[in-house]
Amino acid sequence: MTPRPWLHGFLDLCLLAMLRERPDYGYGLSQRLAAAGVADIPGGTLYPALLRLEEQGLAIPDWQPSESGPRRKYYAITPAGLDVLAGQAADWQRFRDGVDALLTGVHHG
Amino acid sequence: MTALVVANLSAREVSRRRAALLLVVSLPFWFYLARRDLSGQSTRALTLGIGWAVSTLTLFVVNASRGVDPRLRLTGASVLGIIGGRLLAMTGIGVLLALGYWGLVAVDQDLFHLWAAGPMMLITALVAAPLGSLIGAILPRELDGALALLCISSVQMLADPAGLLAKVMPFWSAREVGNYVVDGGSIDFVWRGLAHGGVTWLICVAGTLAIFHWRLRLVRYPEPELP
Amino acid sequence: MADWVDSLESELVRLGLQPGRARHLADETEQQAAESDSPPGEVFGPAVLYARHLVAALRVSSAPARLHAGPVMLSLAGVSKRYRRQTVLADVNLTVRGGEVAAVVGANGCGKSTLLRICAGLTRPSGGSVRRTRRVGFVPQDGGTVGGLTAEEHFTLFGAAAGMVPGRARSTGVHLASRLAWRPGARQRAQQMSGGTRQKLNLVLGELHAPDLLLLDEPYQGFDQGTYVDFWQQVFAWRDAGRAVVVVTHLLHDLQNVDHVLDLGASA
Repeated sequence: MTPRPWLHGFLDLCLLAMLRERPDYGYGLSQRLAAAGVADIPGGTLYPALLRLEEQGLAIPDWQPSESGPRRKYYAITPAGLDVLAGQAADWQRFRDGVDALLTGVHHG
Repeated sequence: MTALVVANLSAREVSRRRAALLLVVSLPFWFYLARRDLSGQSTRALTLGIGWAVSTLTLFVVNASRGVDPRLRLTGASVLGIIGGRLLAMTGIGVLLALGYWGLVAVDQDLFHLWAAGPMMLITALVAAPLGSLIGAILPRELDGALALLCISSVQMLADPAGLLAKVMPFWSAREVGNYVVDGGSIDFVWRGLAHGGVTWLICVAGTLAIFHWRLRLVRYPEPELP
Repeated sequence: MADWVDSLESELVRLGLQPGRARHLADETEQQAAESDSPPGEVFGPAVLYARHLVAALRVSSAPARLHAGPVMLSLAGVSKRYRRQTVLADVNLTVRGGEVAAVVGANGCGKSTLLRICAGLTRPSGGSVRRTRRVGFVPQDGGTVGGLTAEEHFTLFGAAAGMVPGRARSTGVHLASRLAWRPGARQRAQQMSGGTRQKLNLVLGELHAPDLLLLDEPYQGFDQGTYVDFWQQVFAWRDAGRAVVVVTHLLHDLQNVDHVLDLGASA
């Protein structure tokens, strides 16, 4: 799993990328992050991040009933969110390429 | 304005140091009790005790304010406002103490000139406040200052009254006025004592202000130029 | 569970949210906890802390776009300080404008506090030139308060130094304290306060007279996590209000949002 501090700068990016695929609710997103092997992210970090996206107009919430139990707050990405995602994805690409170049020759494990 | 607020708050702060206050207020009383049978000696010792008590209390207050004074200066207070206000408070406390003990000797002793015991104790208290402040300014550590004041008081008590040493000590005024109070000497003793007290007071106040002016000085920087 | 939600709600209100908004957020949080079928304390951590995370998330967007830097409030050029033969500072340059935060970092003993005292005018530099705006607030690392006085008495004292009448000084002090989520006790004296509370008092005293430049020397000693967050929010609020702030710090993770970092390096 990713060390927590690494994720700090890229959590918003990961969330936007997942929302671009399909609208989702908090718990679902955390499951997807864990399944992708990115991070096992605590709710205390995840939900404020979603609120932040909402406040910035990058994601828009929608309450939907669930088959089991209470209704859920689904988030969908907005056009502004897509713009930010595109910009950040380019940043990430550059960053990753740079780090990869630095790590060339370092063997795993 | 600043001086009055400083004075008010210093007095409040002192009044909250219950233990120190109790010790300091009662100390002259123990001096007095030790030779209560001898009017002269007990009254003189009592007066010197007042001097020691008020100067030591002032020393503590001055030391306790060391951290806050530069900040008050930066916020806009003048040295005179800060130091003057503190002296005002301690002088007020000293005057109350002197009046109280004047009352004690009035009911408990048979003196030649009871009225003059008042000025004797008051001038001692008046001198004691700036003296404690001056010692506090010179000796930054509380213990050093307290020991210095103890030295001054004991030398004053033990020095030969006929010699020069006793006369240059800060509480000589009490000795002079005491000659009139307890021994029934000439009234000139009172005037000479008050004059000595006045000069000592001036020296201590000027000294304390000068040292704090230097210590609490602020570097004046020019304002940044406008773009 | 209801306890957790209630304390979240009241904490949100205490942090300055509208009661309706706080209620709404607390409800939502409760439902989000139900998503993962766990008690909210387990999902979100302590309510008090989570409230601050939420408020921080809300503030990201409500913060106005950064203003352009204002006039120069402090400029140091080639400043040095020697004590006898020992050089404490050499050739320090720094310019801070209104609306900017500068952090001074470096190892212990590298002269951070000396530099701040020079900026304040409490210590004279040995060389170089300093230009500074007149109204300056200074918060030392420790000390700077009178043990036997209460917070309100401190407000009166510092207010008097700045020429404020006691009533206004007290109400200003209480108002500034509330922005650090602190309500001064009427009887508690400085010597009875916890280290963190005393530092809050120190901070309030530093800005009581509305200075244009704030000089802070590691002012968060003894702060708990929540107060620490409040402190930095306060620093950025000052900045957004057009003030200049210089913070001495040794915590490097504070530095992501500041405008200038002055590294004094290893100890001299």
